[in-house]
Amino acid sequence: MISTSMFFIGLLQALVILAVAPMFSGFSRVMRAKMHNRRGPGIFQNYRDIIKLMKRQEVISEQAGWVFRATPYITIASMLLIAAILPVFTSRSPFEWVGDLILVIYLYALSRFFFSVSGLDTGSTFGGMGARRELFLSVLIEPVMLMVLFVMALLAGSTNLSVISTKVATGQIPFYTSVWLGMLAFAFASFVEMGKLPFDLAEAEQELQEGPLTEFSGKSLALMKWGIYMKQVVLVALFLAVFLPFGSVTTFSSGLPALFSILLAIVVFFLKVIVFYFIVAVLENAMARVRFLKASAVTWTALGAAILSFVFYLANV
Amino acid sequence: MDTIQILLLSVALFGVGAFASLVLNGVSRPARVTAGLIGTIASFIGLVSAIRAGINIPSPLELSSPLPFGHFTLQMDGLSTLLVGMICLLGLAVSLYSISYVGQYTKQNVGLLGFFTNLFIAMMLLVVTVANAFYFLVFWEMMTLASYFLVMFESEKKETVRAGYLYMLIAHAGGTLIMLSFFVFFLTTGSFDFAAFRQADLSPALKDLVFLLALVGFGAKAGMVPLHFWMPPAYSAAPSNAVALMASVMKKTAIYGILRICVDLLGASVLWWGLLVLFFGALSAVLGVLFALVERDIKRILAYSSIENVGIIMMGIGVGMVGVATRQPTVALIGFLAALYHALNHSFFKGLLFLGAGSVDYRIHTRNLNEMGGLGRLMPWTALMFLVGGLSIAAIPPFNGFVSEWFTYQAFFSASNGQDFIVRSFMPLCAVLLAFVGTLSAMVAIKMYSGAFSGPARNEEAGKASEVPASMLSGMAFLAIGCILLGLGAPLIAPYLAGVVADTLNIPATTVASGSWVYPVNIVQGVLSAPLMAVLLLGLLLVPVVLIAVYGDRQAGTRIVNDPWACGYGYSKKMSVSASNFDQPIAVTFNGIYMFRSAAQRLMEAIGSLSKRLNEAIVRVEPVLERIIKDPTTRTVEYVGQHIQALQMGDIRMYCLYIILTLAILLIAVFK
Repeated sequence: MISTSMFFIGLLQALVILAVAPMFSGFSRVMRAKMHNRRGPGIFQNYRDIIKLMKRQEVISEQAGWVFRATPYITIASMLLIAAILPVFTSRSPFEWVGDLILVIYLYALSRFFFSVSGLDTGSTFGGMGARRELFLSVLIEPVMLMVLFVMALLAGSTNLSVISTKVATGQIPFYTSVWLGMLAFAFASFVEMGKLPFDLAEAEQELQEGPLTEFSGKSLALMKWGIYMKQVVLVALFLAVFLPFGSVTTFSSGLPALFSILLAIVVFFLKVIVFYFIVAVLENAMARVRFLKASAVTWTALGAAILSFVFYLANV
Repeated sequence: MDTIQILLLSVALFGVGAFASLVLNGVSRPARVTAGLIGTIASFIGLVSAIRAGINIPSPLELSSPLPFGHFTLQMDGLSTLLVGMICLLGLAVSLYSISYVGQYTKQNVGLLGFFTNLFIAMMLLVVTVANAFYFLVFWEMMTLASYFLVMFESEKKETVRAGYLYMLIAHAGGTLIMLSFFVFFLTTGSFDFAAFRQADLSPALKDLVFLLALVGFGAKAGMVPLHFWMPPAYSAAPSNAVALMASVMKKTAIYGILRICVDLLGASVLWWGLLVLFFGALSAVLGVLFALVERDIKRILAYSSIENVGIIMMGIGVGMVGVATRQPTVALIGFLAALYHALNHSFFKGLLFLGAGSVDYRIHTRNLNEMGGLGRLMPWTALMFLVGGLSIAAIPPFNGFVSEWFTYQAFFSASNGQDFIVRSFMPLCAVLLAFVGTLSAMVAIKMYSGAFSGPARNEEAGKASEVPASMLSGMAFLAIGCILLGLGAPLIAPYLAGVVADTLNIPATTVASGSWVYPVNIVQGVLSAPLMAVLLLGLLLVPVVLIAVYGDRQAGTRIVNDPWACGYGYSKKMSVSASNFDQPIAVTFNGIYMFRSAAQRLMEAIGSLSKRLNEAIVRVEPVLERIIKDPTTRTVEYVGQHIQALQMGDIRMYCLYIILTLAILLIAVFK
């Protein structure tokens, strides 16, 4: 089941996403600055931040346990694994032999589990409150994601992301009403999970002191930030893999043409992510914040859309 | 020696352990060491017999019966063997743990605890292997009694007495229903043997009746909503070692009962049975986890979380029964496989978490999460093992809870592809509910772990705690390693469980695993490789390590400061997020459900006080009537009055009423 070339494509995907994630996040910072009529930090600022943080001394509260210390590593590792499983450059999932979309959803849960515990581990007020919010949002959002993905899996007849992505890319699953609705609900869910407005402000300096990140410093903070940038790109990649896998490699050749088509797919993927980030940035900056405890009012709508998509699937439209 | 004889040896040894403990009652140390060690050895012997039976199913063994009601036959088919294995594995861990744990009860009759624990395990072993309804009921009652005395161990506390009383009542109400369901079989077949029951030719209406009786009867024991309310008080009152056994394996004997009667004996041939089980499963899972989240007492949280997990197991059973009824053997296989896998996993992680809670209680004598905190530094091994249990219960890959929930999702998926419209529309919604429950149970696990082990110590005793003794650690370590192995070993365990299901359903065994992969019969539908995932996750941990080696500055080092940052103000322990405000967003958002619960409680209390007032009125009216008309009617009224009094003790009668109402509604629903 494991083919060598797919194994390397998987590793390539993981490393490429690792490498470019801070850039995409930098892009959204630039976008925000432009919309605020500021000059902004430049697209590569995040790399400079990360490298600088890596060289800084780390300050840890004595109350922090080993979960706090392990979290940055676990976050990066779980995001890398998701990046290797998702069909990003090819419409086949490179690490499909590890697991399916249920595993992908639960790998997010793995990183969230440690992220939240690390926030509570130090006894910090902001860390604890951030952890609480993070978990609460996941309670509201994860059912939406699973419902939509389940409908897509039913249409494809498999929970394997390869099958779903290939069938959407080759038009075997046309864009029924149910797919459109699902796409809408999933896009919203990704938007919330990326830590964007209306409920969260990932780069907030005044509010909640960046939540569970409060107590991280030095190299741990660098890794945590990197992990969060990756989480955002990986979420977009999941959305693209399920709903818009067009442009990724569907037919597998060998030698130079294969290399060329992979390179093309990488370029197409970058363009798609940039467009997604562009839309997200516009929405984010055009939106007011919603009071956190009112979040459910908005997410019920998303769950409603997801369930409606399932109803349309049942009715075959 | 024959496999079943080995099992009997194990049961006998538990008996020896029980009586030795009773004889040594009064001398604490010898009593607990004897009870613990003999229990450990007996569990080990039972395990040997389970392994032998797992390899080669032995033919049933008939012992001479002292009573004329039927054959005292012991059998170890696939299902019974699985349960025997579970009971012995947990028995092993708990017996080891008990050696030191029981030491904290210095002033009480420690021997009694060892006596009832060993007796309890022995009775559970007999319940799951006996193949005769009469003896099943006898052992079932003895198991209930042993567990009742375990709950009542600290009977000097008022809430313990109440909890024990409630437990006794529900257990007996359930037991009566089970008895009735067996009686229906007996009336048709004239025998108490399960083998005869299996051939019984019941009319559809009688089958429905037996199914409902068994579901409600065993459901009460398993903690199915709405018959769950005895569980949190009983679990928080009982000693932790006993409650670890009750939550992890006694519940599974009820699951075993449902599977034995509804699936094995009745054949699960009706579609709505499966849907009903699925419905109650979903209800228990969702309400269980929501109620767990707002509790403060760690053992009550675990009790509600057990209700949730029974819900997940029942959802699997429901899918399996739907599969049998709609003649889709694949769906049936995956559904029951998921249920059995989750039952096995749950016994490990729930046992582990209860033992962990017991360890905390052992050191700092509280069950309130708000009074713990900071134990991770003082009790590092307990913390680590509790975290493993937490990760497992939250279904975090690659731990065992994830693998069984993965199978549950796949069961829903397989069933969603069927023909029946109702099934097709409800299965995906159940999958969504499972996702919802999954996120909430992660929150519950985080609440327990961080409440007890993270942050600052919130009371003085918590600040001075130290690691628990080796015997307790080894008991927990056994279960923690089990949690990890049951996850990573999925490619070995899933085929074994599939074999058990195939044996129970009498269908040909199907492959569900190859190499390091597991899949839901159909390999195209989805694959999972827990071992490869674990290896990759560990391997990918190297990436950040390398990044730091390349870009980091080793001389920068790490500085440890006293307090977390508090915006430049002085840090106070009160600033940390405690267990009681952790769940606030959920409490606000799902306010409706909690309000419904308190409304239901108020209603029950109102019914209780109404009947109490009625009762008082009757008592007051009595002498008046006596004065006016001195004839036999007075005596009748007095007689009735006394009987109503006898029925009405405390507020338990409203629960009784509740059960009867539930049953009545179900019956009406059937015969409509």
